Amino acid sequence: MIRAIWGMARNDLAVWFRSPAAIAAALLPALGMGVLVAVLTNSVGQQPVALVVQAEGPLAARMAKIIKGDGDAYLLSEMTAPEAEAAIGDQRVAAIIVIPANFDEGVRAQNASVDLYLNNIDIDLADDIRRSVTRSVAEFDAPQLGLLGELHGPSDGALLPNAYRIAVAEHDTRDTNVSFLQYQVIPIIVLIVISIGLLGTSLLTVRDFERGTAKLLVLSPVGRLPLVVGRLLGGTLITALLVTPLVALGFVTHRLPWCGEGVELSPLASMLVSGPCGWNLPVPTWSHGLALVALLVTVTLMTVGLGTLLGVALRDARLVTMAGLNASAYLFFLGGGFTTVAFLPHWIQVASRFVPTSYAIEGLRQALFYPVLTNIGHDLLVLSGCAVLSMALAAMMLTRAWRRT
Amino acid sequence: MRVFRASAALEMAQLRSSRGFVALTALAAVSFLVMVCLFGLTGAYAPVALIDRDGSPHSRRFAEALLGAHHSFALKSISLAEAEAALGTGRLVGIITIPAGFGDSVSRGVTVPIDVRIDNVNVDLTNDVQRALPAAIVAFGRREQYPGVRVRMAEHDVLPHDTGYIPYLVVSALALDAMVIAGILGAMATAREWERRTVKLLRLSPAPSSAVLAGKLAVAGGVAAAALAVTVLMIVVGYGVVPVAPWTTAFALAACVAIFTCLGAWLGALLKRTLAAVPLLFGLAMPLYVDSGALEPTRFDGQAIWIIAHASPIYYAVGVLEWAFHGLRVTPESVFVDLAILAGIAVLSMGLTLGSLARGGAR
Repeated sequence: MIRAIWGMARNDLAVWFRSPAAIAAALLPALGMGVLVAVLTNSVGQQPVALVVQAEGPLAARMAKIIKGDGDAYLLSEMTAPEAEAAIGDQRVAAIIVIPANFDEGVRAQNASVDLYLNNIDIDLADDIRRSVTRSVAEFDAPQLGLLGELHGPSDGALLPNAYRIAVAEHDTRDTNVSFLQYQVIPIIVLIVISIGLLGTSLLTVRDFERGTAKLLVLSPVGRLPLVVGRLLGGTLITALLVTPLVALGFVTHRLPWCGEGVELSPLASMLVSGPCGWNLPVPTWSHGLALVALLVTVTLMTVGLGTLLGVALRDARLVTMAGLNASAYLFFLGGGFTTVAFLPHWIQVASRFVPTSYAIEGLRQALFYPVLTNIGHDLLVLSGCAVLSMALAAMMLTRAWRRT
Repeated sequence: MRVFRASAALEMAQLRSSRGFVALTALAAVSFLVMVCLFGLTGAYAPVALIDRDGSPHSRRFAEALLGAHHSFALKSISLAEAEAALGTGRLVGIITIPAGFGDSVSRGVTVPIDVRIDNVNVDLTNDVQRALPAAIVAFGRREQYPGVRVRMAEHDVLPHDTGYIPYLVVSALALDAMVIAGILGAMATAREWERRTVKLLRLSPAPSSAVLAGKLAVAGGVAAAALAVTVLMIVVGYGVVPVAPWTTAFALAACVAIFTCLGAWLGALLKRTLAAVPLLFGLAMPLYVDSGALEPTRFDGQAIWIIAHASPIYYAVGVLEWAFHGLRVTPESVFVDLAILAGIAVLSMGLTLGSLARGGAR
């Protein structure tokens, strides 16, 4: 029986690796999402802004220094007024910050202003710039409202009085920040598992119906159970063989020479390596590592079961591809891919609890980014339940479908 | 003309027999729209717990200032224990605690530190919260008219009003939808000739292949346009986003459908298999979409990304559609240049498809 199971699984592996279109179908959308995240990383956070300093006094110089110092918020270029106007006109900058000629006099009279000319093309971009410029301007009268003040001011016991009468004592819950790209690598991993598990297995199942090989399988003397188990094992192995190196790569990319901190590259080169270098996972402790493996295995089993069900239900390669891509997209986005479920309206948050991938993404983030494995047991229980259910249903439906062939 | 009509009728019959596939393609278009909106929802209103230990009018006004800080916070009034549990599991970005005696202290001119615990798991979210807090504090100080504030920010907007993030995103998602639906149907129309080995018959036929291709693509484009019309209806009725220039919008969408059908047809002729073309289009769709000014004008993302974006037809399509729907200019190039380039891409891909069909038959 074991030989028959292994034979079927090995055959599926061989078929799949000889089908470049199937591999492309499973991998391309997920890798496309990965590229998307890398591009998004360049779009979030900093906005190109022109700084025009028309005043020459020491107070204006101090204001300019504060703005220039906030490198996290702006990609700042100092320009003359005509240059800045031309730049905002042809969209080289999203805003112009002007420190006017009478700034020093204004400060002494307590009515100085810093002008912000903003291309408010969409609210997300406009609000980012408004927040940043407001903070820079506030820092002039309340130095502790700057980033350093928030992090190391009142929270370290050093409180300076300010005109707004409120200061921020920020306490971060962890030592290091995870980059936007690194944070989004987790859902990409889940998407890859879904794509390969779902599409890989469904296309293998469909192939047997389209080519009529299902009949031969049924006529084989080994019985249906080993063949069904072999099909599910084959799908699982295909997924594992493609996902394992990708995950392992995530743990070693920080060792690549061009991915290290402080490496100077041209803008184009930085953009090109941002994707591969961003595929960067923190090395977990053994307990977190075990949780990571358990989560990946359960998601794989669940998607293989779902893929088999999809193949049995549709029995057409084109339909299966489209349905699989649609299903993967919903499982990805509703599970928290590119979104943080907590930000979404309540009804979507409720709907998300019925999407198994939300438990996988939450669990994987917990295993890789959080010090304590909160709720991991619950996540694993839900995923295991889904995996057992989908596998059992898949085995039942596949047996029935082959019997009727 | 007879050849065109016959080819169109045949293509229509083929599509009728693939109703499931066409329906799933249209569903993919709606899915993209929904997903783009889900992404848009995470751009603002970070879920933050507010623990008000003071309960004074001042603390309530500070809470109002937090709510008004450039769409930054979705304040949750929950207990500290609940907040800590939610923060530990990533369901909250932070906890803001207004201490007891806050109102008395600020009334007396004493600076009060507000305790803020941030789950700095994601640098983007952390930055947003860090930048939004001073904005709320400044708004509070200005409202209370505290003395000693010497500098204020005076904002002058280039446009008369902000465009909401989701209305902006759904319009650019239309370009993505046009690419996916029209591209897939166009690819299927040509790839089928190789899959069913009819490309040789096409080549041997005395009918001009350009007329045959035009008939096939007209039907594929028509079906794609109908599916896109449903999406547009969703945007207008569901999201309340009405185009400022309806005729321009209709023309731009029709142009996008025509262009992406031709591009899809070329891809189908190149790959010769629907199964290969579909995932490639899906895989290309999202990165091309993001690198095409879909989230903000591409030029703001830096020179390198902007130059690369010129290789994507979605860049020009987003430029035209944002102008037609919202009156926004998101590309430095004029809308007419964008349209001309789109038309050029269509002609080029049509030529390439004809070339592939001719070569396919010759082999």
